[in-house]
Amino acid sequence: MTEGLNWGLPVIWYLFLAGMGAGALTASASLFLRGGSVARGMHVEIARYGAFIAPIPVMVGSLLLIFELGSFEAGHWFRWINLYLVINLSPMSIGTWLLTFFIGLSVVYAYTFIHNAPGITNEQRYSLRIFLSWVIIPFGIGVAVYTGVLLGAMPSRPFWNSPILAMLFVVSSLSTGIAAVLLARALFPGKQSNDEAAEQYHQSGYIFAASDVMLIGFELLILFLFLMFAHLTVGDVKQAVSVVLPGGSLASMFFIWVVLVGLLVPALIELYYVVPKLLYHKAFAIPRGIEIIVPAAILTGGFMLRYVVVIAGQITGPVGI
Amino acid sequence: MDAEVKMKNGDEGKSALSRRDFFGAAGAATLTAGAVALSNTADAVTAKSKIQYGMLIDTRRCSGCQACSVACKAEFDVPLGATRSWVEYVEKGTYPDVSRNFLPRLCNHCSEPLCVSVCPTGATYKRKEDGIVVTDSDVCIGCKYCLQACPYDARFINHKTGSADKCDFCLHRVSQGVVPACVNTCEGRARIFGDINDPNSEISRLIASNPVTVLRKGQGTKPNVYYIAADHADETDATNGQYINVTTHREQAERR
Ligand code: SF4
Ligand code: SF4
Repeated sequence: MTEGLNWGLPVIWYLFLAGMGAGALTASASLFLRGGSVARGMHVEIARYGAFIAPIPVMVGSLLLIFELGSFEAGHWFRWINLYLVINLSPMSIGTWLLTFFIGLSVVYAYTFIHNAPGITNEQRYSLRIFLSWVIIPFGIGVAVYTGVLLGAMPSRPFWNSPILAMLFVVSSLSTGIAAVLLARALFPGKQSNDEAAEQYHQSGYIFAASDVMLIGFELLILFLFLMFAHLTVGDVKQAVSVVLPGGSLASMFFIWVVLVGLLVPALIELYYVVPKLLYHKAFAIPRGIEIIVPAAILTGGFMLRYVVVIAGQITGPVGI
Repeated sequence: MDAEVKMKNGDEGKSALSRRDFFGAAGAATLTAGAVALSNTADAVTAKSKIQYGMLIDTRRCSGCQACSVACKAEFDVPLGATRSWVEYVEKGTYPDVSRNFLPRLCNHCSEPLCVSVCPTGATYKRKEDGIVVTDSDVCIGCKYCLQACPYDARFINHKTGSADKCDFCLHRVSQGVVPACVNTCEGRARIFGDINDPNSEISRLIASNPVTVLRKGQGTKPNVYYIAADHADETDATNGQYINVTTHREQAERR
């Protein structure tokens, strides 16, 4: 569906991957700090997953962006460096700098999670890890926010031109980030040497799953507000949003993949496992199959959200001439 | 009034214009009198230029012959499939009450150009000396942000240069004191080019004495291309089975 559009799959993948990476790091660094200000806090294991998986999707996404540049396609391989020769108020300029700092920080941050990493004493490594956890959270939020601001900055694209779009992207980034961490952990569980470690595994998993239910709840609410307010207006915005509402060309894709598969179903499943512990303090235990399927569904939905939004914004425009 | 004209020899660069060339060759108008002040200061988007070139298109005199589109293609060697200047046909009504009107289109050289404010590299900017919005193809990375931001779909990626491209009011001609190619070629003299800031110019007098409109005024970009008797009907306006058909004559079959 992306043929003939100015921004196609590379941009869609970028928005998804950068959001996911930023969300994964923001969420896992927050959880790590919550485990106590010691370098080996109670959530350090899950934070390690976050730290290791976050930089890669962000870097891959940014690389994809370069491939879609007109200058790159025309053979000016390094023209994109011009992005670093200026800084102005364009969301893309600010975003570029944010992203660059974020990638740099996330690589150093991941390094602080490597056991006995060379070139640094463990003491230094621990204090750097704690310091960077505090620093990386605002940067992660910044990267997630700016992907929405980038699209939202233009009145000529009424579907995107909404302040709530950036908020939607932030919440979706956190939710897909958490899903990515949980998925990585379920796929590569590592060894749990003793019962204590196993319990810790589920304790961290519980906090993430519970937070995710809440995030998805917010996401559904934001989507509802976005669509409702757009539909209640007249003119450009109403026309634009009609492509994802029943009868629109993207409606089935949106409701099946984004709302149902990406949000409603995973939230209900997570709720089913979270509630017994939340209300009755029972042990949180989630079967491995579910631990894989639910995050996979959330990630699919997160990608499809970017897909639908990026296409919808470009096939609609101002009404009239 | 004294027109200070500085011309640069061999300034034949067509689409590959660099910012240095722009500042070197003062875009001085000999068409209309008016002092040209050279300025090298940082270009603020909204900074008011002394001269603001604009165009007035009297659609009553347009026969839809596309001579302007062809002249533009030839002038800039615009790649196949891309358009800097094009003429749309607007058909509407049911027999016998029907009409077909022509709407020549180009970049509006807006006074609040959104393409400029989103550009992350500063490649697209509004020239202080004459208000023409240009893109420096040596700086542009082809990120297509400006293509998204322009409410008039006036921009495209030139696959030869890899840069964003669009109408530049024939800067290379205008800076030498001649009118843009489309104005020159128009058989009906439907196009009037000149300085909108000079109240005595032909274009200003015609704008003052005729009912004029601009396209998509609500987008707030303050276009500098004006129309007399433009047909603003769009396919999205068709209600109750009314027939409105717009032929864009470009790769983008629909207005965006
Ligand atoms: S018409 Fe579009 S490209 Fe031209 S100045 Fe206005 S916003 Fe920029
Ligand atoms: S495509 Fe070029 S001119 Fe347009 S916003 Fe990107 S860098 Fe600027």
